[in-house]
Amino acid sequence: MTKPPLIEIRQLSKSYFNDEVETPVLHDVNLKIDRGEFTAIMGPSGSGKSTLMHILGFLDTPTHGEYFFEGQPTKHLEEDQLARIRGQKVSFVFQSFNLLPRTSVLANVMLPLLYQPGISTADREKRAREAIEIVGLTDRIGNLSNQLSGGQQQRVAIARALVTKPEIIFADEPTGNLDSASGIAVMTTLQNLHEQGHTIILVTHEKTTAEHAERIIFIRDGRIESDTKNFKQALAREGTKLK
Amino acid sequence: MTIADTFTIALRAIGTNKSRSLLTMLGIIIGVGSVVLMTSIGASVEELILGQVSSLGANSMVIFPGQEEGGGSQQRPGYDSLTFDDIRALEKLTTIKTVAPVIFVNGIVSYGREETTPEVMGSLPTFYQNQSITAERGRMLDDTDESGAKYVVMLAPDTATDLFGESEPLGKRVKVGDRSFTVVGITKPLGSQFFQNADERVYMPFSTAQVISGQKYVNYITLQAAGITDFAFADIKSLLRARHGIRNPDDEQEKDDFVVRSAAQAADILGSVSLGLTLFLSAIASISLLVGGIGIMNIMLVAVTERTREIGLRKAVGARKRDILLQFLIESVLLTLMGGAIGITGGVLLAALIAMIAQNFLAGYVFALSIPAMILAVVVAAGTGLVFGIYPARRASNLNPIEALRYE
Repeated sequence: MTKPPLIEIRQLSKSYFNDEVETPVLHDVNLKIDRGEFTAIMGPSGSGKSTLMHILGFLDTPTHGEYFFEGQPTKHLEEDQLARIRGQKVSFVFQSFNLLPRTSVLANVMLPLLYQPGISTADREKRAREAIEIVGLTDRIGNLSNQLSGGQQQRVAIARALVTKPEIIFADEPTGNLDSASGIAVMTTLQNLHEQGHTIILVTHEKTTAEHAERIIFIRDGRIESDTKNFKQALAREGTKLK
Repeated sequence: MTIADTFTIALRAIGTNKSRSLLTMLGIIIGVGSVVLMTSIGASVEELILGQVSSLGANSMVIFPGQEEGGGSQQRPGYDSLTFDDIRALEKLTTIKTVAPVIFVNGIVSYGREETTPEVMGSLPTFYQNQSITAERGRMLDDTDESGAKYVVMLAPDTATDLFGESEPLGKRVKVGDRSFTVVGITKPLGSQFFQNADERVYMPFSTAQVISGQKYVNYITLQAAGITDFAFADIKSLLRARHGIRNPDDEQEKDDFVVRSAAQAADILGSVSLGLTLFLSAIASISLLVGGIGIMNIMLVAVTERTREIGLRKAVGARKRDILLQFLIESVLLTLMGGAIGITGGVLLAALIAMIAQNFLAGYVFALSIPAMILAVVVAAGTGLVFGIYPARRASNLNPIEALRYE
C-alpha cells in the first residue's frame, strides 16, 4: 500500500463573512503535496494564496471541502487537537517575523517547546541551541530580538520553526520585508533545510524567491491556474501575468 | 506547559513593562496599604482604650454627680447632688464591696519656688485599693491620717518630679493653696486613665479635704461591686433615686441627677466605637481596592489588545486556549499580589511611623496590627486580580490565531 500524501485537499472552498456578506476567497481547490517537497504557492495579492496556506497550516478552517493531513480527515478536530498539530506538526515563518519583542533569541526559539508536554527545560534549551546553530546565529543567542537586523530576525523565526522538528514548514513571504542580500541568505537556509528532507511550503509573489522551490503552484482568483515542476515553463507562461 | 512556565511568562511580561506594571499596581498598593493602615490604627486605638479602662479592674464602678459625666464641674446642674449621707447609704448595700468618695481641692501646689497644678484629691484608703495605687517609697495614707484629718499628702511620681526634681520629697513640706502638708509617700506610676495623666496628682485624707474645701458634697465616687456589676448598678440607681426623691420607673437618664458607669460598660462602649471606626475606615479603603481592581482590568484589556499579535503567535506555535487564559490570569493575579505585598509593607511602615509620632502625644498608644485584616486585604486583592482579570484573559484566549496575527 502506498503511503498517503502528507497533504490532500478535495473541493476546498473558503469564504469570509462580513455582516452576512459573503466574500469567496478559494473555489473548489484540489491539491496533493508529498513529504519532502519544496513547493511555492505563487499568485498576485488577493489571489487567496495566503488563505490557502493558513488553512493548510491549521490557522484557519475551510468553509467547504475536505482536508486530509497524513491521510486523516481534519474536519472533526477539536480546538485542543488543532493546537497540538500547530505545535508539533507544522511551523510558520511569517513575513513580519513575529518574534516576541524585547525577548532573547534563545527564549524566542524555545517558545514553541513551552507548549509541548513532557520536555524538560534543559531539553528545550538544548534543542533551541541546535536550531539556532542550524541558522547560524549562535553568536547572537543572548541578544534581544529587537537588537537584530531583519535578516537575522527572520533566521531566528526559522530556528523557531525548526525547533519542534515539524512535518512541514510554512513560509509566508519570508523575504518580503528583507533586502535582497538578507533574502538570499534566508532562502538559502530554507533550501538547505529542504535538502535535509524537510517539507517546505512557500507563499510568495516574487519570482526570485520562488526560484528556490522545485514545484510551483499558481493561484489566481481563488483557483489553481497551474501546478508544475518545470520552473522555467511555469514562469514563461505566468511570468508576464504577474507583472 | 507547566504552571511554573506560565509563572515565568507572566513574570517576564510584568518585568518587560516595569513602569506600566507599577502604575497598574498603584490602585492595589493604595487600597491594600490603606486597609492595613486603617485597621492598624483601629487596633492601636482599641488597645489604647482598653488599656485605659482595664487599669481600673473589671468590677470598678464610678458615680458622677449631675446629668452628664465629666466630674464635678461647677457649671453643671446637680454638681452637688452626691452627699456624705449618700455615701454612708451606699456603704450599706450588699452588692457593693467598697465605696471611695473623692473631693477635689483647688489650689496651686508648691515647694519653695516650684509650682505645679496637679489634681489634688481627697479620698479614703479604699480608693487606693480600688485604683490599685501603691507606694513606691514612704507609706500610704491610712485610717489614722483619716480619723485625725492630718495634713499629710502622697505625691504621684510626675508631681514629685515637678516639685523636687532629683531631690528626696519624703518628709518635706509642700503647700496646697496656703496650707502646708508633709509628704509621707510617693506612689507608683499609673500611666494614663481615660486619657488623663494619672501621675500628676496629690492625694490627701478625705477628712482633710472635706475640712479645707468646706464642701458638703463629693465630686465623684468610685466603687467596687461585690459580685455582678449589673446588680450593683440597679441597687445604686434605686437607692440614689429614693434618697434624692426622683421618680424614674422607665430608667431615663435625663431624669437622674447622677450618672453610674462601670469599667466593663465603658470598655464595651469604647470598644464598639473603635470597631465602628475601623469598619468605616476599612469600607473607604475597600472602595480604593475596587477602583484598583478596575484599573487592573483596564490595563489587562490594553495588554490584550497590545499583545494581540503575541497571542496569535503563541496560538500558531501550539498554545491552547487554556494556556493563554492561564497566562493572562496569572499575570493579573501576580500584579495584584505584588501590589498587595507592596501595599502591606507600605501600610505597616506608615502605621509604625504614626505610632512613633502618636506615642509622643498619647501615652499608652502602641503599634498594633490586625493580622486578619492583612490576610483579608491580600485575599481581596488576589480575588480582584482574578475577577477583573477573567474578562481580558477570556478575550485573549478566544482570539482566532490568524486574525490575531494579522492585527495591526
